[in-house]
Amino acid sequence: MSVPQYMDKRNHPLPDVPYHRDLSADEKALTEKQKGSWKELSNEEKVALYHIKFCQTYAEMNRPSNEWKTVLGVTFMFLGFTGLILAWQRYYVMPDKPHTLSDEWKAKQLKRMLDMRMNPVEGLATQWDYDKNEWKK
Amino acid sequence: MANPMHLGFQDAMSPLMEELLYFHDHTLMILFLISSLVFYMISALLLPKLYHSSASDVQEVEVIWTILPAIVLISVALPSLRTLYLMDETNNPCLTIKATGHQWYWSYEYTDFSALEFDSYMVPTQDLPLGHFRLLEVDHCMITPTNSTIRVLITAEDVLHSWAIPSIGTKMDARPGRLNQVMLTLANSGVFYGQCSEICGANHSFMPIVMETIPLNHFQLWLKDCMSS
Repeated sequence: MSVPQYMDKRNHPLPDVPYHRDLSADEKALTEKQKGSWKELSNEEKVALYHIKFCQTYAEMNRPSNEWKTVLGVTFMFLGFTGLILAWQRYYVMPDKPHTLSDEWKAKQLKRMLDMRMNPVEGLATQWDYDKNEWKK
Repeated sequence: MANPMHLGFQDAMSPLMEELLYFHDHTLMILFLISSLVFYMISALLLPKLYHSSASDVQEVEVIWTILPAIVLISVALPSLRTLYLMDETNNPCLTIKATGHQWYWSYEYTDFSALEFDSYMVPTQDLPLGHFRLLEVDHCMITPTNSTIRVLITAEDVLHSWAIPSIGTKMDARPGRLNQVMLTLANSGVFYGQCSEICGANHSFMPIVMETIPLNHFQLWLKDCMSS
């Protein structure tokens, strides 16, 4: 960093030194020609002049890569493997759920919570219409 | 108590808990403001295609983003201190209840009028009546009157416990050899559930706290019943 060097970086648009320091005879001729009117320069000459100063174009510098496909694929593979481990665990290791999680129990529990007017300010009891005996619309 | 998929706090059943809810809303709003500002700043820095890192100058904005956070912190600290000191107030209580933590149950003593003492054990799951709450129901719950200032003295018999009821905004550690005080004022009657909040051994998750708040005349009748039996 202490010696000026060439770099193609998006956040450093103007490199410290030109790409080609030692110019060939053709390139020297081109740089002389560009001191005149630019309308006389052909497209190939303009591109050649660009490539004296810079290595890559912005399009080349900012080109996307296919790395995201690898990253996504490997991530999903790891997630899938984790899912397999969890499924095995669920089937072979973990005990049965408590009987209080059956649908009948949960319905009775909810009724009890409504009867006890749980969270009467903004919560559960405010969602139930006690006159019509149904959930509020 | 909380219902399934309950996000956020339970409804406030005491004035203190209301204060805590207001403070929480205030602070959360400030947090949202700060987070969205930071998110915007990061996206403004990262999304543009062209950016010259050596051609940016930040002297003035450094001052701003030192002063502004200080102001934000003060706006959070002042309500916080107000709520904190509110929680510490002692107004003359009408009733004193002593809650003692044991391994693994709570016991309550009402010694103002007579030597009323009882233990509060969790109802085991296999003995629960249909529709009752698993791990939350107890055989004898603590009864309190509404609209009265109640002092609860919390202590422990053996190891550390913590007496907590979320809907009234109370949590106090139960230390053996020490009496910790909380002041409660219950606005409405109801049943409020809580759980022991300090690890105390194998059955730490199985020593709930249930407080039933009833109108004062009913409370007097209950006391009379207990004393006569």
